[in-house]
Amino acid sequence: MFAELNSILNTSPDSFKPGEFILVSDKHTDASFLIHHFLSFYLRAGCKVCFLGLVQSFSHYSAISQRLGVSLTQAREKGQLVFLEGLKESLGVLLQASKGTRTMDFLRDPSSGLRGLYDFVRDNVRGAVGGAEEWGPPVLLVDDLSVVLSLGVSVGAALDFSHYCRATVCSELQGSMVMLVRCEAEEEEESDDEGSERLLRGLIHQCSLTLQVQGLPTGYCRDIHGQVEVCWRGQCDKQQAQKKLFQYKVHDKGASFFARGMSSAVL
Amino acid sequence: MLLEVLQGTEAGGFILIQDSVNYCGRHLLKSCINAALKREEVVHVLGFEVSQEELNDGLDKTSAQRLHFHNAYSDPLGWTGNSPFTVHQFTLEDIGTLLKQTPQAKAVTLVIDSLSWILRHHDPAAICQKLQALKKGGVVRAVIGLLHSDLHQRGTVGSICHLATSVITVAPGTRGLGAFAKITRRTKSGKLMQDEEIFSINEDLTVTIQSKRSHPGSTPMNTDESEVDPTANLTFNLRLSDTQREAKEKLPLPFVFRSQHFCTRAPVQDGSFTSLMPMMIMTRRILMTTLMSRGQATSHVEHSSLQLMPLLDIYMPETTIIAWVPA
Repeated sequence: MFAELNSILNTSPDSFKPGEFILVSDKHTDASFLIHHFLSFYLRAGCKVCFLGLVQSFSHYSAISQRLGVSLTQAREKGQLVFLEGLKESLGVLLQASKGTRTMDFLRDPSSGLRGLYDFVRDNVRGAVGGAEEWGPPVLLVDDLSVVLSLGVSVGAALDFSHYCRATVCSELQGSMVMLVRCEAEEEEESDDEGSERLLRGLIHQCSLTLQVQGLPTGYCRDIHGQVEVCWRGQCDKQQAQKKLFQYKVHDKGASFFARGMSSAVL
Repeated sequence: MLLEVLQGTEAGGFILIQDSVNYCGRHLLKSCINAALKREEVVHVLGFEVSQEELNDGLDKTSAQRLHFHNAYSDPLGWTGNSPFTVHQFTLEDIGTLLKQTPQAKAVTLVIDSLSWILRHHDPAAICQKLQALKKGGVVRAVIGLLHSDLHQRGTVGSICHLATSVITVAPGTRGLGAFAKITRRTKSGKLMQDEEIFSINEDLTVTIQSKRSHPGSTPMNTDESEVDPTANLTFNLRLSDTQREAKEKLPLPFVFRSQHFCTRAPVQDGSFTSLMPMMIMTRRILMTTLMSRGQATSHVEHSSLQLMPLLDIYMPETTIIAWVPA
């Protein structure tokens, strides 16, 4: 959990807005440090977290969360965290070892869409039926959604999946959702209709807060790893979208955010 | 012209609101809905993209019974099995069934939020046919649709725009002045009118026009120039007075000396290094002086260099001098 990011977003584990759909996107850089932030944030807030880890193993997140002060193994044992290890499950599906779950069905038949994945989310986000409701509002974290595009799933199916997740998690259960989308650098804009750019635009229309991470436009810098543009989309009729731009640097145990030109290395 | 379009009194009209990721057109859509409710019309909303609570937020509560929200948000594809309205039910018959819920209404406005959702699951040509049938069929009096123009190909967007009687393209305004709208309106007689306006939406969802015909491209230039003059209020002087300018022009430049004096033998023959002084004062901290001794001028040079050192000490006290005297 990064304290500076909390103050930028005006949230804290004790008080955060319910029903938020936060979209994290990156281009030419790696924004997964924000996923670690949100994971530790919501675990500290006592929410029930459903994590779809489609690109990394559980031990990867566990090791990094350890440095941020949160133990994923403990959370999983207590039932606070439900972790879908996409890589392990996919091996099972591809080798036809287990015919059990339909969660990763899209690997065998990409045109069928992500309905199996949505069923997994819906079952795990509603919480224990008989057990005591000890956890806070449910949270869905997806890392990352654009990888399904390279597995053959269409942009429309991915957008349908995120729509259904939002309808269930955000609107019905008043929980929160965080999704990471990675954009490839595409040269032509008009020709590629099925690319990650279209997915990103579709998701931006659905979400309430976007964090767009990019490398510095002037090139590589040792002390500043990139810039983050935070954009609050006006959900109510009151305000327009509000945008803020920050630069960041990722450390061993966190990340620091500062206004442009205010890096401690420069001052 | 934006206000006229929002009042939208002609029958068979199709108002299309086009937006992009930079500015959400749903606020304007809610203004349209509010205006229709205030005109005592019955409004049916096909809500695919946002939930009922979110859409109703801010709308006129007193006319709530005239607003019928058809929930296509919670299960638009029928994945849960008991869906109130799916995207596949976007046909003339099914919409007619929905509208029969209010049989006594004379003026029904159908609001579609959003057309982009439907276009993702249906063929654009089929959608165009259905929209045209809705317009002409007399089932509804007017149709208002929201379209996210950056999610579709240009051809698809163009086809839908062609069907519309009024197209409002919204974009963010410059410098927080409100939003920018480009309106294209086609009357029944075939006359085409276009206008560009800057507007803002108030708390009660009424639209205020702030200025007309301000292209977003031209305004940033004017506002930039009028804002801040960086040369004002400085603690130092950026300009030169006349005497200063004269003195500056009189100052000899290093290249001038270089061409005159720094050819091979001139400094030595000259007998003194003092003519080099102005040039050397203008050079950097470390002065490298190479004293060359030539056979015939040795004693001459030695004498001159002995003259040079105290001069250097006076004029350039902090200069490091590296002198090379070949034996």
